[in-house]
This record gives sequence, C-alpha cells and structure tokens, in this order.
Amino acid sequence: MSLVEDPKGYWTDLTVAEKGVTAGVVLFAGALLVSLLTGGLTPTYFLYLVGIAGMYALLSLGLNSQWGFSGLINFSVAAFFGIGAYGTALASASGSPIAGGLPPVVGLLAALALAAILALFIGIPTLRLRADYLAIASIGLAEVVRLIVLNQDDWTNGSAGVRGIPSFFDGWPVLGTFPETMPTLVFGSGPGATVLSTSFWQALSNVALVLAFVGVSYLVLRRAHRSPWGRVLRTIRSDEDLARALGKNTYSFKMQSFVLGSLIMALAGVFYAHLNLYVSPGDLDPITTFYVWVAVILGGSGSNRGALFGGVVIVAIQEGTRALPLDAAPIRLLAIGVIIVLLMRFRPQGVLPPQRELIWPGTVDETPQQPDSGVRETKAGEK
Amino acid sequence: MSEQTTDTETAATMSKDDVVLSVDGLVKTFGALVATDHATFEVERGTITGLIGPNGAGKSTLFNLISGFYETDEGSVSVNGTDVTGQEPYEIADHGLIRTFQTPRKLEGMTVREAMLVGPRNQPGESFLKLFTAPGEVGEAESKNMADVDRILEEFEIDHLATQPATKISGGQMKLVELARAMLSEPEILLLDEPAAGVNPTLRNKLAEQIRRLNEQGTTMLLIEHDMEFVMELADPVIVLDQGSVLMEGRPDEVQSDDRVIDAYLG
Repeated sequence: MSLVEDPKGYWTDLTVAEKGVTAGVVLFAGALLVSLLTGGLTPTYFLYLVGIAGMYALLSLGLNSQWGFSGLINFSVAAFFGIGAYGTALASASGSPIAGGLPPVVGLLAALALAAILALFIGIPTLRLRADYLAIASIGLAEVVRLIVLNQDDWTNGSAGVRGIPSFFDGWPVLGTFPETMPTLVFGSGPGATVLSTSFWQALSNVALVLAFVGVSYLVLRRAHRSPWGRVLRTIRSDEDLARALGKNTYSFKMQSFVLGSLIMALAGVFYAHLNLYVSPGDLDPITTFYVWVAVILGGSGSNRGALFGGVVIVAIQEGTRALPLDAAPIRLLAIGVIIVLLMRFRPQGVLPPQRELIWPGTVDETPQQPDSGVRETKAGEK
Repeated sequence: MSEQTTDTETAATMSKDDVVLSVDGLVKTFGALVATDHATFEVERGTITGLIGPNGAGKSTLFNLISGFYETDEGSVSVNGTDVTGQEPYEIADHGLIRTFQTPRKLEGMTVREAMLVGPRNQPGESFLKLFTAPGEVGEAESKNMADVDRILEEFEIDHLATQPATKISGGQMKLVELARAMLSEPEILLLDEPAAGVNPTLRNKLAEQIRRLNEQGTTMLLIEHDMEFVMELADPVIVLDQGSVLMEGRPDEVQSDDRVIDAYLG
C-alpha cells in the first residue's frame, strides 16, 4: 500500500511498533526543528549530527548484513571502520606518512580494497568453523588492527594520527568549490541571527555524501536480502547443515556476506575521515563496536530499517546527553545499558523486527494468517 | 583412495547403470568406537531401499558419511558412477544426492513457501553479481521456482500451509514440507532420515503415501526408519545394519524371518 495513494490506509496497515516509531520520528524531528528555529541548535551542528547518524546507520547496516542475515558474529566493527578511515586518510591526506595527496575517490577505493582484504584474511580461516570461532578471532583482529595503527609510526603516524585530510569532494568539478562559492546567508538580526556560511555548505555536502552512501548501501542490501541469495543466508542462519544438504556452498555465501558487511563498515570510516578531517588510533576503540551492536539489536536483528533506526537512536543518546548539565559520559553508558535491559525484557526481537521487508514479493499473500515474532501481526477484522 | 580404485569403481558401476548409489567398504571410527565397519551395499535405481538396524547400529553415521557430513576413514561412495568420497555436502548434493534430517530445524522469519524456495539447486538469484547484472534472468527463474513450489505443495496436499510462518507448523507437517522441498532439488537419490519419527498416525500415513507416489514417479530412495511397520510396507529391498556393517539384505519378509536379524534386535 502506498503512502501517497492512500495515506490513511497506509497508517492503519502499520504495526503498533511501526506506528510508535513513526510517531517518535515525527516528534523527534519536530523537537529538532523547534531547537533549530529557536537557535538552540545551529544548522551546521545539526547537519553534523545528521552526518554522524548516517555514519552509525552505515555501521549498523554493515553489521546487520553479517549478524542479522547470516548469523556471523563480528566483534571487529571498529577495525573495519578504522581501516576505512585510515585507508582513505593515508591515501588522500597531506599529512600522510606514506602516499598522501591522492584524490579522495582513490582513498575510497583503497579503503574498500583494504577492508575486503582484511575481511578475507579473517574469514578464510574462521568461516568454515562454528560461529564462535569468528567471534573470538574478530575480537583479536580488532585489537591487532588498533595496535598496528597505534605503533607502526612510519605507516600511520602512530598516536599522533593523520592530519590534513581533504573533504571528500575536494578537487571535484562544481562540488569541490561548492562551499566557498555559496553566499553567506543571514536570517534574523543581532546576536541571535542564523548565519549560513562556508562551514554550513561544507556540512551540507557532507550530509549529501553520507546520504548517498546510506542510500546505496540500503538499496543494495534490500535487493540482496530479498533475493534467493539472501534466502540462502537466512537458511544458513537458522540451519547451516540444511543449506549444505540442499547443495548450497555455505562457506562461499558466508564469505560474501561477511565481505559485503565489512565494505559497508569501511564506507562509514571513509565518510568519518572526510568529515572529521583527522583520524587517530582512538577512533578504533572497541566502544564503537559495542554501540553498533546495541544499534542492531535495538533495531531488530535482520531488519535494515531497524538498523537505520538503531543507528539514529545511538547518536541521539550520545549527542543528546551532551546538553545535560552533568558529566555526560557515564549518563550515556547508563542510558544505553538501561535500554538494553528494557529491550531484552520487553521486546527481545528489537523495535522493528524484520517483517515485510524480508519477504520476496509474492512469497506471502497480503498478510500471514498467524502472528509470529518475525512476521507482522494480523490486524483486527482479518482472518 | 588411489586413482586405480576410482577407475575400477567407475567402470564397475558404469556397466550396471541401474545402480544410483554405491557404498564400498566404508569405515568410520570415533576414538575406539568403530561406528561404521566396512559397510558395503548398493541402491538400485527406482527402489525404496530400507536401512534398518538396532539402536547404535550406525545408521545415522552411515548417512552422514554418504552425504559428506562426516569424513570417511576408509572406503568410497559413488553417486551415479561418480566417486564422491571426500567431497563437501554441497558438492555431493550437486551430483543429485539429497538428504533430509531426522529433526528438521525450522527456518525463522520465513513462510513455508519461502522455506520451500531454498530447495531448487543452482538458482541464478543465488549469485550476488547476477542480482545486479542480470535481474531479468533472476526474476524469471524465481517465477518458475515459485510455480514449481506451488505445484509441489498442491501435490503434497499442503498448499494451505504456503503462507504460514515456517515456525508455526507442526513437526509432522514440517516433515512433509522437507520431503516436498527435497523434491525441488530434483534428486537422483533421496536419503530420508527417519521421516516417520515423531509424526502422528494420520500424517504418517500421508507421508507413506507421498513416499510411495514419488517412488512410482521414479525417485530412488534410501530410507532409515525405526518404525518397522513403516519400513516393511514401503521398502524393498531392506538392508540390515548391525555394529556398523551390513548384516544382511533381502526382501522385507526374508529380513523379518531371518534369525540373525532377530538376534541382532533382541540380543
């Protein structure tokens, strides 16, 4: 049912959770709008937040592709994120100790290539084994990558980090000079006036970049997961032996899924490097992995919409707690801890568990006849 | 396994092309336990061959060896004259040997129709690249498979389950779905691991009916079953396994009256 053709029918067709999330998103957007208009939130900072939310959404989509769809436990999200960030930074930054000065697009490709190599490196020995081995190896991998970045001074500048990263559109026709050529706009007057200057346009182009990354990743994953390819992965997740007995090369399927997810995580890292213009070993801290896992579980494992939602919630908590008149770091961790406990108690399947989006068109009639944790609930009045 | 043995094996089975599965001198040990001890037998095309034996006789181990889930210590397995010893389960499935499981696990988040759609082998849509480079081909294959699924579900008289979540159907229905799905893989030989275990009498009869129907349509089957009655009414010949090796092979009535078999079961 289309939102445009029949908005009322679309609304009644949503599940309770979907309605709740929609309402929450509308309220949240409203609150943001109000703080934008009242000057509580500057437009540039707002766009920065959208960028960070997009980055977390990418990381969550990547992990969802591995864990949510294929049951692969990857505790090295931060490593793939870091590889993406360092890959592009080392290729394009003026402060890079090895290459440097290359166009950011080359950096992007280098980052993706590095991430794919790293994924194969960890996948080849572990994906033939039980799921736990990948989990254990990935914990080690994350530390190995972090320590290499920290200690290989002549490759990565070590703890000093890499400075002088250009913005992603640097050197592009039109887009490259877009922030500088746009005029400075002033709304209102006096000290409360909103000024949209170069940094605003810069932030705007960053948001465009992350939205493009998220959009492409989402569409690719959606296509892949609803296809026979994704169906095999979901079979592997439930019962790998069954998939093998039906003639599926499960090792190859798991490897493809693992590499795909890792590439999307690296994409988040690439965006981060060109947003922050500086990367350091601190960006590879395991806490990122933890946040992303929370985002995926919160959204609902196996649901791409859920991953997007989870990513945004994590950023809302991280950045929202900054406004509190308290030391925010413990509050942030506390809030996330409380969310996990409540979630496991009351909604272990996540807020937006996989429903229609999983199902290849035509494999179900409009609605399944029985509710199921993984399938949308039957509406009143239907059989 | 030496090259020479493989060649003679192939030659031997080629000359009798009515043999679909040939198991030769299979050995599997777990530590000191000899689970399979030089098991040798053949399954002829078009038969339902029963495989029975007391608990611990090594039936399931043998199944896992044949389908590639366990590595063999000695001996060989050939499907349609091709030596498949040491191959991965998915490679063996590609030679047309499809197996079912004693306790099928239910596929989460899938409808029965979707769970069935995993069955067909070598679907173009299972290639990640083709999803984006050849969407037309993927879509066509999917429509064809969907039609096949609906046809087979109807033949099995379980088309009313098509849109049910696969986690919500009963164990007996799941066994029917599994059998139906196996047929979508177009097996040369179907290995059924205790299809009647834990199934209520009505569904059990339905299963037996379907197995017989598929066999009449030309599907060769190897059937492990605890339920004697079920085996005896369906299978011919019956192979009796005891302590990992073949005790005897014969018609159901021969097997039932054989002293060695009675000893093995009672002793």
